Amino acid sequence: MLTQTTLITRIMIALAILLVVCGFCLMTGTEKISPGNILKGPGLVPGSNIEYEIFIGVRLPRVLLAALVGAALAGSGVILQAILRNPLADPFILGISSGAGLGAVIAIISGFTFTFLGGSPITVCAFAGALTTVWIVWAIGRFTTKSELTSLLLAGVVVNAFFSALIMFLTSIAKSEQMQATVFWLMGNISETSLPVIIVNFVIVLAGLAVLWSICLELNLLSFGESQAQNLGVDPTRIKLIAFGASAIITAVAVSLSGLVGFVGLIVPHAIRLVLGPDHRQLLPISAIIGAAFLVLADTIARTIVAPAQLPVGVITAMTGGPFFLILLARYTRKISWFSK
Amino acid sequence: MVRSKKLNLVILLAATIVAVAIYYTSTKVAKPVAPQSPQRIIVTSPQLTEIAYAMGLEPRIAAVTSDSDYPPQAAKTKPTVGKFWQLNMEAIIAARPDLIIMEKFDQQTSIGRRLEALGYPVLTVHLTDIRQLFEAIDTVGQAAGVPDKAKTLIDSIKSKLITLSGRFQTEPKRTVLWVMQTEPIRVAGLETFPNELIELAGGYNAIGKTIQKYPPIGAEQIVSSAPDVIIQPAMSQTSVEAERAGALRFWSQFPNIPAVKKNRVYVIPADTVHRLGPRLPQGLELVGRCIHPELYDANMPDPNSTGNLNADPNDANN
Amino acid sequence: MAIIEVTNVNFSYDQAHILENLWLSVTPGSFLAVAGPNGAGKSTLLYILAGLLKPASGSVTIESKPISSYSFMDLAKKIAFVRQEFVPAFGFTVEETVAMARAPYLQGFGFESRDDLAIVNEALEATETAQFAKRHLYQLSGGERQRVFVARALAQQTPILLLDEPTSFLDLKHQVDIYDLLKKMQTRLGKTILLISHDINVAAQYCDNILLLSADRKYHFGTAEEIFRPELIKEVFGVSGYAGSVGKERFFIPLGKFAKDAELKG
Repeated sequence: MLTQTTLITRIMIALAILLVVCGFCLMTGTEKISPGNILKGPGLVPGSNIEYEIFIGVRLPRVLLAALVGAALAGSGVILQAILRNPLADPFILGISSGAGLGAVIAIISGFTFTFLGGSPITVCAFAGALTTVWIVWAIGRFTTKSELTSLLLAGVVVNAFFSALIMFLTSIAKSEQMQATVFWLMGNISETSLPVIIVNFVIVLAGLAVLWSICLELNLLSFGESQAQNLGVDPTRIKLIAFGASAIITAVAVSLSGLVGFVGLIVPHAIRLVLGPDHRQLLPISAIIGAAFLVLADTIARTIVAPAQLPVGVITAMTGGPFFLILLARYTRKISWFSK
Repeated sequence: MVRSKKLNLVILLAATIVAVAIYYTSTKVAKPVAPQSPQRIIVTSPQLTEIAYAMGLEPRIAAVTSDSDYPPQAAKTKPTVGKFWQLNMEAIIAARPDLIIMEKFDQQTSIGRRLEALGYPVLTVHLTDIRQLFEAIDTVGQAAGVPDKAKTLIDSIKSKLITLSGRFQTEPKRTVLWVMQTEPIRVAGLETFPNELIELAGGYNAIGKTIQKYPPIGAEQIVSSAPDVIIQPAMSQTSVEAERAGALRFWSQFPNIPAVKKNRVYVIPADTVHRLGPRLPQGLELVGRCIHPELYDANMPDPNSTGNLNADPNDANN
Repeated sequence: MAIIEVTNVNFSYDQAHILENLWLSVTPGSFLAVAGPNGAGKSTLLYILAGLLKPASGSVTIESKPISSYSFMDLAKKIAFVRQEFVPAFGFTVEETVAMARAPYLQGFGFESRDDLAIVNEALEATETAQFAKRHLYQLSGGERQRVFVARALAQQTPILLLDEPTSFLDLKHQVDIYDLLKKMQTRLGKTILLISHDINVAAQYCDNILLLSADRKYHFGTAEEIFRPELIKEVFGVSGYAGSVGKERFFIPLGKFAKDAELKG
């Protein structure tokens, strides 16, 4: 039975893991830097301490961005798996992936140059595309009242298919370098972004996760079905609205900054659930923290393993996430079964 | 905290306000200015490497991209900062540049903006057609403090181009299909740099006006365009021979187009014809030989024979 | 003062009328069995009382307040509903499942207090499911799960308990145990109990009144004596049989064509 103290303890441990991972990854990269030299500060002449410059200008923003995206995707995955009562749900299931992709492709091809709150045109358009698509899927899904969840999933599949076709069409008429840029974006990358932009988005994601945490108790109840939850005092419509809204926003933020990084939103919630159990009050924060650590580690591997080239981080998440999950499943499989009697 | 609806809204609102506030109060850095005579220049594309070396800037170049294969010593002796398509920002910073020269491509501009935000001067040039080549050489020369070398280089390239072009403007004008890749078939259209080479070399593009610059085309259009010459720059540097064999096999499925009937399918090394740089005149010569082979006597090397047509690297500096 | 007042309620699924002009008044602390053939509207009635369905016309009041005026949370503190449940794919333990009943009462950050946990334990003990406390729900048999859901309803500590066939998977001993438990809840804690059961005989032994719904939207309300009449059973269920008494208990035995003593039919 989960208690407040147990949860706090576990969160502390998870945060400690995150800090250790970040510390290690901040020191790893194509250039050698050491903590001693970094602590010497920017130096008498700004720009003269190269290790400091690399740390502050490249490593730190990148690690923070990876943590941010990892937390958002893992947290959103928890929520969507809960609301849709589907173990295969991931943050992109309701059209966010194709919506964001479409926004990004439109930005790339049209050559927009505006920026907003420091985000590049691609970021802004991807964000707008993601949210618009979620809204479309939600609107379509609400037309039928019988099985709202099924129609939502179907609407998501249909919209994903249609938008993906649009993306393919636009990509086929694009110039070759635009096509390259599009594919690159779609593969998911943690790339260089400025610190203020990261902090802005960090705040938004943190707020979103806080809002989502506040409905975790209701999500536990919703596991038994909406009418059962209603009999225990849950307002299913309000909870679904908050859940979809907040998770859509944080996923859109993550996707707009990094493209489509797969696996994190699907695998991390399952892994944590296997180890710690399905109580969402615990599952959400721990998944978010471990998701952050996972992506920071994956990105570090992506940028060092074939240095000086960089792999898209989505490649690493898929290649490491899959086997790791299989091991976890084998060890804990006595604890859980997907098929109820 | 948990059980109130209004609190959720308040959290979101507060977060948005805080976020916006943080953004607008973070200090904006002024665009960094390069020194008059930069001593540690980084160039981020093979084209820029060739241009920089041709202006004698080698001692002042701090790093190049790993795919800068000309001059051959560039990537071997200088530190590298990733590839053109994927720059390594840490390596760029580690090289302590005082000027970074980039091309105007999306991948590069975002890194360029980041570097500027960190205080490194960045110069961006367009480099997608011949006119831009001259402008770029001039810009780079001004920025590097060697405007006279730039002028010399521009004049040298221009005069060679004019001489060569003059030779090639003979009748008959032949139609040329410039093939970028074969699966699927993509060709260079009218508004491209290869097209400029075609026209300078006394040819016409076999394809008419298209929406895209490098359109994929179908078999029907290939046959109806009936090109006299097919030029297919090799995609990889090392196995031009293998690509030639593959290309001849590929084109044998169109036995009735003039280029195939008359055995005028040429697979040439791409580095002089797909790059805008000091070796442009060599590229033009190569293209001209493909279009007007009759202007060259039997003693001169045939573009389709083994061996490259890379001339002396110091040629452009004379 | 009735704890549940159903006034002239009508309800239809698409074109099929299920409930028509239904009037029901439930006294507080009473035990009402709801019986009838399939499709008569028993479950529908309970769903309406639980606030999950809205009648087309008519009104329902709980403790003299219209049901629509209750918030979800407040209604959950008044009515607990036990019925066939969907078992989630994720593994909640028995303890966690029963603890969910405390959700309407949790304060602060939404964690169960020591009192809440004591209530949960009590409920587990009462339904003899304490030994499964740490086991996962899907590891139990159907009958064991049913008892867990009854435990959850108890932990909810509501004045009204609605149960839709709570003993369908239970063996005789556990059936009787659950009924004994419900009777205890009624007599000791004054709970009002509405229970749907296909086994009218067992239900009749414990309940104060029976609400008999028939498929033609008619209904009958009365004690076991009044309801267990062969003509009425034949009319509502379409089954002939023998009605009798043993001591204070009324019973009814359905007799088909090939029953051993078919002549006993009334």
